[in-house]
Amino acid sequence: MNIATTIFSNLLAGDPREGRTLWLPPQDSNLAVNSDLMFWWINVVCYFFFIGIVIALVILVVKYRMKKDRPFRTDGPLHHLPLETTWAVVPLFIVIFIFYFGFRDYLNFMTPPKNSYEIAVTAQKWGWLFKYPNGATSDDLYVPTGRPVKLSMRSSDVLHSCYIPDFRVKKDLVPGRYSYLWFQTDNVTPEGSGHNLFCSEYCGTGHSNMNRKVYALAQPEFDAWLTAQSQWLDKIPEEELYFRAGPKLYARCMQCHSLDGTKGIGPSWKNLWSRVNGGEDGKFVDGTSYQSQIGAGKQYQTPEDYIRASILNPGEHVVAGYANAMPSFKGQLNDKGIDAIIGFLKHMDEFDTKGKYLKEAAPSPKVSMK
Amino acid sequence: MTTINLSQPLDTATRPDNYLTHTRGFMSWAFTLDHKRIGVMYMVSVLISFFVGGVFALLVRTELLTPGQTIPGVTADVYNHFFTLHGAIMVFLVIIPSIPAALGNFIMPIMLGAKDVAFPRLNLFSYYLWLFGALFTVSSLLLGGFDTGWTFYTPYSTTTPAGGVIPALTGVFILGFSSIFTGLNFIVTVHKLRPPGMTWFRMPLFLWAIYATAIIQVLATPVLGITLLLLIVERAFNIGIFDPSMGGDPVLYQHFFWFYSHPAVYIMILPAMGIISELITVHAHRHIFGYKFIALSSIAIAIFSFLVWGHHMFTSGQSPLLNTLFSLISFSVAIPSAVKVFNWMSTLYKGNIVLNTPMLYALSFLVLFTIGGLTGIHLATLNTDVHLHDTYFVVAHFHYVMMGSALIGMIGGLHHWWPKMTGRMYNENLGRIACITVFIGFNVTFFTQFFLGSQGMPRRYYDYLPEYQIYHVISTIGSYIMACGFLLTAYYLLASLFGGRIAPANPWGGRSLEWQCASPPPFDNFATQPRVGDCYDFTAIRWDEKEQGYVTDPALDSTKNPQLATKNLH
Repeated sequence: MNIATTIFSNLLAGDPREGRTLWLPPQDSNLAVNSDLMFWWINVVCYFFFIGIVIALVILVVKYRMKKDRPFRTDGPLHHLPLETTWAVVPLFIVIFIFYFGFRDYLNFMTPPKNSYEIAVTAQKWGWLFKYPNGATSDDLYVPTGRPVKLSMRSSDVLHSCYIPDFRVKKDLVPGRYSYLWFQTDNVTPEGSGHNLFCSEYCGTGHSNMNRKVYALAQPEFDAWLTAQSQWLDKIPEEELYFRAGPKLYARCMQCHSLDGTKGIGPSWKNLWSRVNGGEDGKFVDGTSYQSQIGAGKQYQTPEDYIRASILNPGEHVVAGYANAMPSFKGQLNDKGIDAIIGFLKHMDEFDTKGKYLKEAAPSPKVSMK
Repeated sequence: MTTINLSQPLDTATRPDNYLTHTRGFMSWAFTLDHKRIGVMYMVSVLISFFVGGVFALLVRTELLTPGQTIPGVTADVYNHFFTLHGAIMVFLVIIPSIPAALGNFIMPIMLGAKDVAFPRLNLFSYYLWLFGALFTVSSLLLGGFDTGWTFYTPYSTTTPAGGVIPALTGVFILGFSSIFTGLNFIVTVHKLRPPGMTWFRMPLFLWAIYATAIIQVLATPVLGITLLLLIVERAFNIGIFDPSMGGDPVLYQHFFWFYSHPAVYIMILPAMGIISELITVHAHRHIFGYKFIALSSIAIAIFSFLVWGHHMFTSGQSPLLNTLFSLISFSVAIPSAVKVFNWMSTLYKGNIVLNTPMLYALSFLVLFTIGGLTGIHLATLNTDVHLHDTYFVVAHFHYVMMGSALIGMIGGLHHWWPKMTGRMYNENLGRIACITVFIGFNVTFFTQFFLGSQGMPRRYYDYLPEYQIYHVISTIGSYIMACGFLLTAYYLLASLFGGRIAPANPWGGRSLEWQCASPPPFDNFATQPRVGDCYDFTAIRWDEKEQGYVTDPALDSTKNPQLATKNLH
């Protein structure tokens, strides 16, 4: 077993995380301990029966092969009630045991402690939004160590499922319902790594890219992070907003909107500003053109109004050639965030196709903090 | 042939005419009511579908060789269409009809000593329903395809822009009716057409399995039909049934879907178990051990199959009470499964085992089904399933059951009855090599996926983290090995049609009635209704050099010798 473990962990080169075994990823939550113990015991049962059955098969086949010189055997028993009853009943007892322990720990998993730290989770095609009690939001999940964390989750479009392998927890996010998931981790995530968080319920094109990281921080660091996170947008001066906040916010849009002109789930943002600003005209799904909708006295007085409406109420005017696939970002982006996006669109030429700000290539000389 | 071998029942003497030569021309096949021809038509259609589904499987595996795009042009959307088509074709077009409709149609009436199934016209109608259903499902490709997964989970399936969802749903709906009619036909056939002397507990075990399957087909498939109809209505007319934005409930859909689709797993595996019961006893030339336990365990599995659907939904938000009950009942399936495996193994004890291709497939089944069954424990256990649900562990588990067991059983049965169906023997050595190649390839492909899943890799992923790549590479190599095995199988089976040795009536030494009529069977199967003894009593079986097959010794045959008949009753 140990040799196999070593081989497989060597095969997993590039994975910095400790604690991976042949079967299971690192174990990093209170729930994982019992889940893994259960997994191990079931494996023992499986190895026992599998090896036993294979050995028995080999012996039977070798010993009772038809031989030309041996007369046809007809002396095998036709049935044997005690034996057959035994192998019907013994597995029953084994699985009842397994059921009981699985059930006991499952109840624990289904019952979040009352003192849990609650984080609201919204999933949509194809991203996660984590919202903390003080109003801060993040794309990766940050949790404090040493106390139970409860995720209160909902989906704004189709089914998703929140899966954190290292914590051995998973729960579906069902549109129209809230679901809970809880865990407690006591280990601070080492620098440079993070726990994977996957969407494990098939949700379409971007399903396999709905993976994020989970970072566990000690309570003081977590509190500091939380405060900074809730204020990061407010702290940026208006004139720096588009290049400091824009690319960061764009990270949530890049699944569908490219910057290099490739057609994605939604239209590319390349030249978008000039298109809606009287440049090359285009059509909406309902047949009307940009220019008939955007401009003084029309539905959208200014291009800024159109962008704002597209973020908050995206189904209103869908660009021709695209499905009405975008969820509303109402409540997720405040006015300053929308300003940042609009600024980002206006200054598209100052960014590369990944959203990196080009003018910052030469960083301003750092002032010593002493 | 001047002398008639008196040691055989008269029917095994090759008559000038068989079901293949009885009438000729396309129309004689298209409008045939002969269960054998319908069985062959099903078999050809199922094998073509298997090839198509297999091509999609190889595309999926090849795409997963590297994270991100591997095959030029295969984007995430294309990949999603690939795995959906692979799943839908393999489940609805291949595994569900493969054993009951193809092999069952051919063999069951002959095993009963009957001339046909109870309703031959309904049988032909079932085939055409299958054909139209298949065409609808495949035609969805031309209409934009469908990327919903074979499970069609809402609200994704009702909102996806892919244009082929409704044709695909309609196709599966029609396929469902084909399955229902076949089941109905077989239930009546088993009840009404058994020959004198064949009591319930003297039926070949294959018939018990087909009968148990038919009950599930008739009771469960209508629920699928209704569910798909509701889905079509929701997608086409925006009537809210499952979509919460219109007041529906997506978890309700999952209940409806699995209420059919879990029993459907047993529609796939039960007939394969029936085949294994035949293969093991015939190729070990040994009376089946514990007949009644095997027969009744088929019925037990059929009953349990209706009570465990919720184990697909442990993380869906279903109430803890329901999850607990479903977990508990799911474990009960372990009992009949264990009984079958141990009874099959006991059948080898003191047997006369010949390791030819069908027997190798039966032994492969025993090993693969054991792995598939044992890993079911991880998934039925509530707390470990929370970790493993919707990962590759589940993918590996159900491939061990649906492919490693159901399809391997089907291919074993195909080899077993190939001489009977075609009148030709295939190359035995190539058969053994192909079986071992498939076995190795299968395990390399799918055992690796257990590690992939327990290490946390979710299923239905186009792109993945680099840490999982090594497992994907090994798995893909395994799938290529498996494909080689299947191509070899296709080669020697087709070659046998043209140059194969003429098959004797009883090449393996079976005792059930299909081995008592000629290979291939005459149009009317039996000139007179045959007498039925114990179909697992091999005492009278002898190898005959001249015949190059097995014959029965009339002095030891209980159907010929009334004194023995009373002695052998048990």
